Amino acid sequence: MTRPVAPAAPPGPPGAAGPGRLLPLAPGDGWDLRAHVARHGHPRYQGEALIVAARDAGLTGRGGAAFPAYVKLAAVARARGRKVAVANGAEGEPASAKDAALLRHAPHLVLDGLQLAAEAVGATEAFVYAGAGSAPWVERALAQRDGGVPVALVQAPPRFLAGQESALARRVAGGLALPAYAPERVSERGVHGRPTLVQNVETLAHLALIARHGPGWFRQAGTPAEPGTMLVTLNAGGQQRVAEAELGTPLAGLLPPGTAALIGGYHGTWLPMGTARALTLDNRSLRRHQAALGAGVLAVLPPGACGLAETARVARYLAAESAGQCGPCLNGLPRIAVAMAELAGPRPRPGTVADVRRWAGLVAGRGACHHPDGTVRLVASALAVFGDELARHGAGRCGADGGPALPLPPPGALPRCDEDWR
Amino acid sequence: MSNSTTFWYASRATGVVALVLLSVVLALGIAVARQARVPGLPRFALTELHRNLSLLAVAFLSVHVLTAVLDTYVAIPLAAIVIPFASGYERLWLGLGAAALDLTAAMIVTSLLRGRMSRAAWRAVHLAVYLCWPLALVHSLFSDGDMRHGPLLGAAIACALAVAAAIARRLAGVARRPARAARVAAELAVAERGRAAAPASPAAHGSNR
Repeated sequence: MTRPVAPAAPPGPPGAAGPGRLLPLAPGDGWDLRAHVARHGHPRYQGEALIVAARDAGLTGRGGAAFPAYVKLAAVARARGRKVAVANGAEGEPASAKDAALLRHAPHLVLDGLQLAAEAVGATEAFVYAGAGSAPWVERALAQRDGGVPVALVQAPPRFLAGQESALARRVAGGLALPAYAPERVSERGVHGRPTLVQNVETLAHLALIARHGPGWFRQAGTPAEPGTMLVTLNAGGQQRVAEAELGTPLAGLLPPGTAALIGGYHGTWLPMGTARALTLDNRSLRRHQAALGAGVLAVLPPGACGLAETARVARYLAAESAGQCGPCLNGLPRIAVAMAELAGPRPRPGTVADVRRWAGLVAGRGACHHPDGTVRLVASALAVFGDELARHGAGRCGADGGPALPLPPPGALPRCDEDWR
Repeated sequence: MSNSTTFWYASRATGVVALVLLSVVLALGIAVARQARVPGLPRFALTELHRNLSLLAVAFLSVHVLTAVLDTYVAIPLAAIVIPFASGYERLWLGLGAAALDLTAAMIVTSLLRGRMSRAAWRAVHLAVYLCWPLALVHSLFSDGDMRHGPLLGAAIACALAVAAAIARRLAGVARRPARAARVAAELAVAERGRAAAPASPAAHGSNR
């Protein structure tokens, strides 16, 4: 294993503008603070200058919403009173593994970004919110650092919705990781009612690099509208692989052969493989097909797998992961999931597709969080893309010959009691 | 009927109607809180009914208070509307009414500002209804003898029974309220029963991992 050789703090880019900005070229030594400093040097932009740099760099949130990072930074910086900064690595999505990979292989980039962001907005306490699997890596990295805004680790429960901002704010404050009913902005009232900056761990890692190399360097990768690189989790052949790719990369180069691609994870959109391979890894390109990058989850439906059966399994998982708070979600998603299971079996009743479409219209936009919206987006795209499969099932046949393709936790890992949300 | 007795009767009548409405509003509010289903009424309509009847109750309550003060047969000082026990006439029983009115005002103000305050704070104030309603009932029964006999006593007993029944169902519901996950699982089971005739499940494609 070769450690990258770099003299102290060169203000230049590490390995030019190509991919490999976040994840160490030599995996495994990013957790060591000295190796981290040797590779990345020290930040040049701090405080307000960093917020301006984030704006000029065009950095967007990598947690799924692609919201401009500087807007949140500026909003919390403007807010009054005691403030909190949180690095969100909850990654409740079973098909995503990039946050865990980043926290394992380059935790100091995330912690640098969190520290810089906390200082820039004037936060007096900071948290890393991450799943149990990431906790040891975060703790090891935290033990090597001192000074600055104090950082604590809060363990995120393995719930699909654990990373939703208001659920995060409640969990960090000691409660259950449940989305709030009232649509409050955490930048105004978050953890303990304090103005709270919540950024995905990958966003913070990019911020830490922008603080070193500046916005111009950041824009050397990606497209003018969506600059930079992003981590993607590729789910194919029963394997999960995390890769870093420039925004605007042709999807044809990322997606292995298959019949369809799921873009953006379990709240995402199915596209026929031919359509997906003609697109590029950026929202401008995906939007034309009602798809979005989300948190960078790509999944491939292998030949011999049934898209309806996969969607039915995911829909059932999403229904079971509902916080059970809002009527449309609590009552609607189970019905949709069960109807999808019927469509995934042989000879579904003729009215079932219409039932699913009607219920999808009824629950969309009616929840306190986006869980119902994301779930019906997935289901609706499955009905659109797997039309041939629907017809085969209607005739009592199914094209599938393989086992499950998309990763899901075992049924025993679904929530059983309120404590499972802590 | 002199002007004075007009106010007197108006105050009595609106007071009785306000008590009945408040009792219904409380029972409906409890039904909303325990997410009960009223046959033929969607849940959002239950919430709307609770809100609209409470506004109607406030209207009757306002007329009740106003006419009681305007009535000159007994002198009730203006301040006694909001300051409990400031009235020389029926000091204790009118005082309870004033206290109930203050609590009602607090619930109205917090409900109007609900979008601007935390749900917990709004709920804490709204729980004052459990103090407000008994105050109003005792005030109604003892401010004057009218309600302690005949059909009006029957109305008061009916109100008390309705509220007691609603509270009992609420407490029973709290005792056996299913956990969040059980609620979700129950809905999944309901959905599955609804499609019990469905020919097959996706298990045909291989078991869940």
